[in-house]
Amino acid sequence: MSIHTEILEEVICYHCGDECPETPIIHQDKTFCCHGCEQVYELLNENHLDAYYSCDLNPGISPTDKNFDFLNNKAFRDRLITFSNADFSKVSFHLPAIHCRSCLYLLENLQKVNPQIIKTSLNFGKKDLTVWFKEDQLNLGALATLIASLGYEPHISNAEERPQNKDQKKLFLKLGIAGFCAGNAMLFSFPEYLGIDDGSLQALFGYLNLALGSVAVFYSGSDYFSQVYAHLKLRKMTIELPILLGILVGYGRSVFEILSHTGAGYIDSVSGLIFFLLIGKWFQQKSFDFLSFERNYKAYFPLVVTRMANGKEEIAPLEEIQVGDRLLIRNQEIIPADAYLLKGQSQMDYSFVTGESELIPIQAGQSIYAGGKHLGESIEIQLSKELNQSHLTQLWEQQAFKDPHHKTENWENFANKVGMYFTGILLSLATAAGIYWYNVDPSRWSNAVVSILVIACPCALAVSYPFALGHGIRWLAKFHFFVKDIQTFERMAQVDTLVFDKTGTLTLQSQQEPSVHFNREVTDKEWNAIYSLVYQSTHPLSKQAKKFLQQRSLIAFSEFKEHSGKGLEATFDDLFVQIGSAKYTLNKLDLPEGFISSETRLFVSINQEPIGFIEFPWENRPGIEAMLHSLRHQYEVHLISGDKKEHAAHLLDWFEDQNHVKFECSPLDKMEYIQALQKQGKIVAMIGDGLNDAGALKQAAVGIAVSDDHLHFTPSSDAILKGSELPHLGEFLNYSKFGLQLIKASFLLSLVYNGFGLSYAIQGNLYPLIAAILMPINSISMLVIATWGMNWKGQALNRFKIRLKAE
Amino acid sequence: MEIMYLMIGLSLFMAIGFVIAFVWSVKTGQQEDLITPAMRILQEDEKNTNL
Repeated sequence: MSIHTEILEEVICYHCGDECPETPIIHQDKTFCCHGCEQVYELLNENHLDAYYSCDLNPGISPTDKNFDFLNNKAFRDRLITFSNADFSKVSFHLPAIHCRSCLYLLENLQKVNPQIIKTSLNFGKKDLTVWFKEDQLNLGALATLIASLGYEPHISNAEERPQNKDQKKLFLKLGIAGFCAGNAMLFSFPEYLGIDDGSLQALFGYLNLALGSVAVFYSGSDYFSQVYAHLKLRKMTIELPILLGILVGYGRSVFEILSHTGAGYIDSVSGLIFFLLIGKWFQQKSFDFLSFERNYKAYFPLVVTRMANGKEEIAPLEEIQVGDRLLIRNQEIIPADAYLLKGQSQMDYSFVTGESELIPIQAGQSIYAGGKHLGESIEIQLSKELNQSHLTQLWEQQAFKDPHHKTENWENFANKVGMYFTGILLSLATAAGIYWYNVDPSRWSNAVVSILVIACPCALAVSYPFALGHGIRWLAKFHFFVKDIQTFERMAQVDTLVFDKTGTLTLQSQQEPSVHFNREVTDKEWNAIYSLVYQSTHPLSKQAKKFLQQRSLIAFSEFKEHSGKGLEATFDDLFVQIGSAKYTLNKLDLPEGFISSETRLFVSINQEPIGFIEFPWENRPGIEAMLHSLRHQYEVHLISGDKKEHAAHLLDWFEDQNHVKFECSPLDKMEYIQALQKQGKIVAMIGDGLNDAGALKQAAVGIAVSDDHLHFTPSSDAILKGSELPHLGEFLNYSKFGLQLIKASFLLSLVYNGFGLSYAIQGNLYPLIAAILMPINSISMLVIATWGMNWKGQALNRFKIRLKAE
Repeated sequence: MEIMYLMIGLSLFMAIGFVIAFVWSVKTGQQEDLITPAMRILQEDEKNTNL
């Protein structure tokens, strides 16, 4: 009896945790979904690495059988090997599949799998594995193939990717030293606070403080000098100017007091302020090391191609190929440059480059463009253009790509906008108070000016801004929405227009296999007839059927008729074939005819006999309709696509009217569409996925790339969103709006603070010391508000998502 | 109060020691990966290298 109940349970692969097919592979009482997983298990078992399975439950990744022998090519080897001597070589791989403790266990015990590996070291955050190995006995290609066979396929980037960030290290050093200076300066200021009166001790402490303060101001705060200088050269007043002014005035006054033995100065406050400001800066620099926001078209191309030279195949790195070279392109491979088709025939899939989802048939002699994916038997092509001069790469010649600052240069962010007015008001206030007191009571003027400049320093804004936005991008990353920097987060809050791409964004790029529900066996001839019939139609279902049946061949027919909205019919010798809706083909539905099922099933009848239907997986991403519906209340929503209009019929209802949709756009058209919206004063966010959206993503204030496959490949963008999270886009945008509101509210609060202090300072009644104490208190309260507010809202968003999942 | 001079000297000496240690740790890249060592310490200790 127990056997019967067991069958009903889902069988899970022991290695990768995926659901097994109906007949799982059983090995040593364990079930596996495929031979790849079983082999990895065997390999680990042989090498006594079973503990891999005890760290985490079903931790494995189904392996690929990709061969990395091309890495032995000198160009790749020299780039990848970072160190090499007679005994060993050292290499680093980026392994995007790393995800848990078991990965760490396995990858750091690689030397047990292959004795030629000396040792390995993993950087979990960056997903980088460094391997020391004996290269004379194990070549680089074999090493990479071994790692791939365990399920961790290395991502070999092209030479231009991943610039290392040196600034972060420098900032970290400055931050640490500012902390040291601030802490010690406070210690040496104790006698002053406690009122201990000892002349010589005071002098010593004063000089020590001066030394510490100088380091803090001129080393840790050096960025403020260079930034203000750069901004003044452009005749711009930014938030950094009043901050620097506050620091310099506070520091200058302290130097004067200490050297003239008239007081202790307030080096502690000045260096404390610098410390706080740097914490904020450091906090906002959250970087997602494992993602790349800067990829260009080259990352999409293969690293190596198969070149035909003297009738022989050879593997060549992409950089080495030239015009006139003959290349062999296999099924599913990508065309690296514009070329002519020499031998064979191809169905070309340009969907990633143009957005068009229909396959283009290509015959020998016709030209093909870079970026197309070849489907069918292997073909031979001859290159007609250089790699970087092909049709596809024109887009990257546009202004938006050449100027890296085009998004930020005309962008007035809140802090800078406020900073401009703030600086003006502050300076005139300080001057006026100075002149007034100089005439009325000369003993007070310096106190008044210094207190005004110190207390009004907009450090509140400088602290709450990076903290609120920094927390914001951290929370969004938890929801698989990776925002490049806090400036992007701020721009997100101001977006009023959303433009969606269709293919791959609203609809799914990777389609599941359709399922066939026929009530009898169908002969080859009948299949060919069905294929020939769908070939005549541009209906979205026919298009999918065409893809599904592409291995079939076309046969001749007569009496072809198309009944619009119903289906097609034609006669093939003795066969009368009809395809279309259930009613038209006389198929009886045993299920209620719902909205979805009627759109995804292609019914067939042969010689008036209904034989069933082919069911295609629903094309739209789940949850998209509800998202589009709710976004329309808040935003202007547009759809642009490289596809033909017929293919989007199931989406059109969700957009306002004809002015909000555009079809058959080239990549350049998409970019211009965004430009046109921007000319109308709209702040646009573009949501797309393919290379064909790269221009629009670049042009829009916020370019969001949607990605499904482990965030593997995305065109250059400002933010990367996991495909399954797209329905929550509205909530994410609202979260960014909340962040900006929080900053504005806390800025108002700090203005009240400042106003209160200023009213005393102008009267000359506020001692600079008190101003210097109020300043850090102000900063800390801003920090607390920003942190608490963003976390509170982030948790609310999290709860909302959990609740939604449960329903 | 003379003891203060000694104590200040000692405290500065120690604090500067910490700063040097900090600078050294940043320069040698010890702050770059803060995740993996925390995970590594929980692994079974059975490593042997092939050298």
